[in-house]
Amino acid sequence: MEKIAITGIGVVSPSGIGKRQFWANLKSGRSFIKEITRFDASLYPSHIAGQIDDLEKYSHISERLLKKIDAFSHMALVSSELALQDAGIDIKNEDPSLVGIFLGNAIGGWLYAETELRDLYLEGREGVSPYMASAWFPAAPQGQVSIYYGIKGFSKTIVSDRASSSMALGYARKVLAKNKLNMILAGGMEAPVTPYALLCCNTYGALSNNNANPAAAYRPFDQGRSGFVIGEGAGIVVMENIERAKKRGANILGIISGYGTSCDGVDRINCASDGKELARAIKIALADAKANPEEIDYISLDGLAVELWDDSEIKALKSVFGDNLKNIPLSCPKSMFGNLLGASGVLDMIIALLTMEHGLVTPTINLEKPALNNLNYVARESKEYKVNKSLIISRGRGGINSVLVVEKL
Amino acid sequence: MDIKVKVKEVLSNLLKVKIEELKDEVSLINSIGVDSTEMVESVIALEKSFAVKLSPKEITKNSTIDDIVNNIQSKLAQ
Repeated sequence: MEKIAITGIGVVSPSGIGKRQFWANLKSGRSFIKEITRFDASLYPSHIAGQIDDLEKYSHISERLLKKIDAFSHMALVSSELALQDAGIDIKNEDPSLVGIFLGNAIGGWLYAETELRDLYLEGREGVSPYMASAWFPAAPQGQVSIYYGIKGFSKTIVSDRASSSMALGYARKVLAKNKLNMILAGGMEAPVTPYALLCCNTYGALSNNNANPAAAYRPFDQGRSGFVIGEGAGIVVMENIERAKKRGANILGIISGYGTSCDGVDRINCASDGKELARAIKIALADAKANPEEIDYISLDGLAVELWDDSEIKALKSVFGDNLKNIPLSCPKSMFGNLLGASGVLDMIIALLTMEHGLVTPTINLEKPALNNLNYVARESKEYKVNKSLIISRGRGGINSVLVVEKL
Repeated sequence: MDIKVKVKEVLSNLLKVKIEELKDEVSLINSIGVDSTEMVESVIALEKSFAVKLSPKEITKNSTIDDIVNNIQSKLAQ
């Protein structure tokens, strides 16, 4: 399949807004996981998260629009603007029918929904904002981005738990490869730091309860792991055909060359312990990229920090990469800012692009005693590596596997 | 409080538009760009403020500040 260029990055994360700030913080290996301060979460078993507290400072969205949308749409709008600016694209110069939006999201806009549902039961139907219906649902950000820029091309929202944005990128690439669109804004957004969404995440049973030490709580692949920590944010990239990108003199940040997906189909919550289906998704992605396993020189791990998930991820990698796995740098940088659920995959891909650009693999923090040894984890601090081809693993609840291959042009 | 002043205050708070922009002859739909959902919200807010029942259809049809004030005045007089 055709290789598709990424020419702009927009990131809104607990580790920073905009790719420069984001990269500077990642490089430093600093944790941005803190106690939740947005509301009193002290009675929740896990009440720590990667939060964004200064979005307004970077926002171009009017107060009038803000009252109609949930935080996850706001994050998507800011991310989209940052991505377009980074790509040097003025949307007014584009044919709107040939621009698409592909975004992933897992849980919807609960901050808005919770407040309005409370009002429904307290005040009756007239207490509910008329924007409720269009603010909460997972495709709302796609709609808001579309309205804001007047985008009219084929677009989709993908809901596939934590694999949502990775899948959105995979599908966006397929659509661009068919030459049906000129460019796509692709990625995802998630805003789970709300009273109800946090409750749902807690009932999943996989969140870390290490509230006493937030910075050390998310420790994927470590013997002392206790589950993952949620984070909020968005990542949106500009994707376009390489020829078009070259023609307009764009700075090509990397190309998506392969995509593979599969499902474990064994349980409502858990993944399969054997990692076989994840291995199959990795093989599909590599074949799609026409890449041999030996060519991969960075692997971005899903890293849920749950034994079953971590171990099956490594099993899958061992079955595909064999002995050579110990030579490939592996990392799970989301340990620094939290797992952005439906937006986690695109953040991982953005990190892979920046890793290739800067020749620096950012660390899995808190990985002090690996549960499985003899692997090349980049732990605690960043390490220089020349990276040309990256493999990015995203996995969703119940064993949804989504794998991307991105490479330098 | 003068009905017009109150109407402008309610709509300014609700729509996040400056009071100076809400001139008497300004149409909510054509000049402020109020969409159908904002219109529903505006009608509910005005109903609450003036304790009257308004018709969203009427307000949509005649949506200048003067129109709305006249509409409310006539309802209050009933």
